Amino acid sequence: MIFWEIAKRNIRIHLLRSTLAMLGIVIGVIAIASMGILGNSLVLTVSDSLKTVGDSVIVTPHVGGGTMRGFSGGMGGPSSLSITEQNFEQIKRASAPNVAIPVLQTSDRMKLGVGSDEIVAAIYGLNPEDVPDLLKLKEGGYSRGNSGVLVGSTFAKDNNVKVGSRIAIGTEGDKGTLRVTGIIEERGMAFDISTDSAIVVTKDWYDQAYNRDDYDKVVVKVKNLDDLPTVKSAIENQLNKRDKIVDVVDTRKTMETIFSAFGQITTFVSAIGGISMVVAGVSILNIMMMSVTERIKEIGIMRSIGAQRKEVMSMFIYEALILGVVGSLIGGIMSLLGGYAISSVMLQTTKYLFAPSSMIHIIYGMSFGIVISLICGIYPAWRAANLNPIDALRHE
Amino acid sequence: MNEQPVMVFKDVVKVYPLPSGDVTALDGVCFKVDRGEFISIMGRSGSGKSTLLNLMGCLDTPTSGDIYISGTRTGDMSDKELTELRRDRIGFIFQYFNLFPLLNIIENVTFPMMLKSQKAVDPEKARAALRSVQLDDSLFTHTPMEVSGGQQQRVAIARALINDPDILLLDEPTGNLDSKTGAGIMELMSELNRRGTTIIMVTHDLNIAAYSKRTIRIADGRIVE
Repeated sequence: MIFWEIAKRNIRIHLLRSTLAMLGIVIGVIAIASMGILGNSLVLTVSDSLKTVGDSVIVTPHVGGGTMRGFSGGMGGPSSLSITEQNFEQIKRASAPNVAIPVLQTSDRMKLGVGSDEIVAAIYGLNPEDVPDLLKLKEGGYSRGNSGVLVGSTFAKDNNVKVGSRIAIGTEGDKGTLRVTGIIEERGMAFDISTDSAIVVTKDWYDQAYNRDDYDKVVVKVKNLDDLPTVKSAIENQLNKRDKIVDVVDTRKTMETIFSAFGQITTFVSAIGGISMVVAGVSILNIMMMSVTERIKEIGIMRSIGAQRKEVMSMFIYEALILGVVGSLIGGIMSLLGGYAISSVMLQTTKYLFAPSSMIHIIYGMSFGIVISLICGIYPAWRAANLNPIDALRHE
Repeated sequence: MNEQPVMVFKDVVKVYPLPSGDVTALDGVCFKVDRGEFISIMGRSGSGKSTLLNLMGCLDTPTSGDIYISGTRTGDMSDKELTELRRDRIGFIFQYFNLFPLLNIIENVTFPMMLKSQKAVDPEKARAALRSVQLDDSLFTHTPMEVSGGQQQRVAIARALINDPDILLLDEPTGNLDSKTGAGIMELMSELNRRGTTIIMVTHDLNIAAYSKRTIRIADGRIVE
């Protein structure tokens, strides 16, 4: 088509001007797509960390409610708030037939072998029969007696702990020495318990060592995810009837809220990138207006020898389209580099760069670039098409 | 044979409303042009020649009166229809050639054909048209800026003829050429007229007007002879 050819040649003849206008689109696409890729990579990173997916209801003592145990004021002491055995039984009944797992947690000093320095790490106390429901091992086996302990994968790696190693708990090992029976699979940051850098002992040993007869939290593993809200309500109705004594968190809902917040952050940063695209659009509008002004006489000639308004309009739309498509394509390719650079620097990983949910941001950026170019080409094209042929012919 | 005139003007009035008051550019103009005529329109600056040419070329519409081109009344036509009329029935030749600088010579000539057919066209017809206006084949792929003024005007003539129009409208066709080249162009126009092309030419040059067979003189928006 001749008007397509004219549009191409006009861009070629004003190469510098066209390149500068395209550069605006390139920058706009890079800004939108790179920010989108970064935001999405952030979401994927967090979602990978929160590996304990939303299949649990977590019950913790309500701040300002529950059984006050007083501030322990030192390491190894119990938490200031806890869930009593009676409360646990109520939770168990309310969440049946799902499994309710009572959890104890603290942190204490520990020593790993003769001559090594003392370290401080988190300690979880769990009933041995509940452990397989909550944790998977990558090495060794579950503790059978009270002298066994499971260790997190990061804990094992950082402290060179193997199955069979011994760990002395407490200052100078005053709480006792336990033998490592297994290493727990990496779980990441979790809603229920984060064991990667922690150790897991039996509840009985924990009760004895820290003189406890209550719990810090209860994790209810819900088999049917659709039951999560029902289980949450049942627990709340049972325990918070009169006073609010526990906080009940539906992890799926929490994850949804977190991802929604990250989604909003991604949209926000992409919108900031979008501002540069709007500026690029103004630049397209500007050069298209220049193009129309320079070619008024040519438009007059075209109209006088029989070109329809829509044909004149198409010529300028094609020009804007070429600028938008070429600029967006270059921007799309460069977004990969931009996304790689930003992800490397800010997240120290590029493994999410080619995830479909990251790639879609390049498509968004490119589409926005093309649409903005077209929109900004419409007014100059309309103006060109509606010039009076006589005035246009007289134009010098 | 009683053939239909290619152009008829009936009591055509053209008034330009201006803030300082209306200006009557044409005042009750009547004439007809028969097929095969070669007419020159003469008049002083501001007499209404350009307005008349714009109306004949369907680039403008009259304030009152009727214009018929090949029997079709232009007053009732939409912008789209008028554009099609210009494309299919009228050929324009301008003083400043008005070729498209982005297109080569062949493309300039095929341009109106493409507008008409809405698809790629065989350039052979354009080559034949260029040869008929005595343009050398070696120039066909050059851009307008690479050839002389006389050669550009020959390209413009070939472009005007390419869709076989009923009328050729010439606006000072030799005004931007030296006398020798201008004479060559006018010889070519006479030859086209001898072959049957109807030509209406606006000029202020008596020597150029002498090539026509009939002269319409216009003064103060009226035809005076």
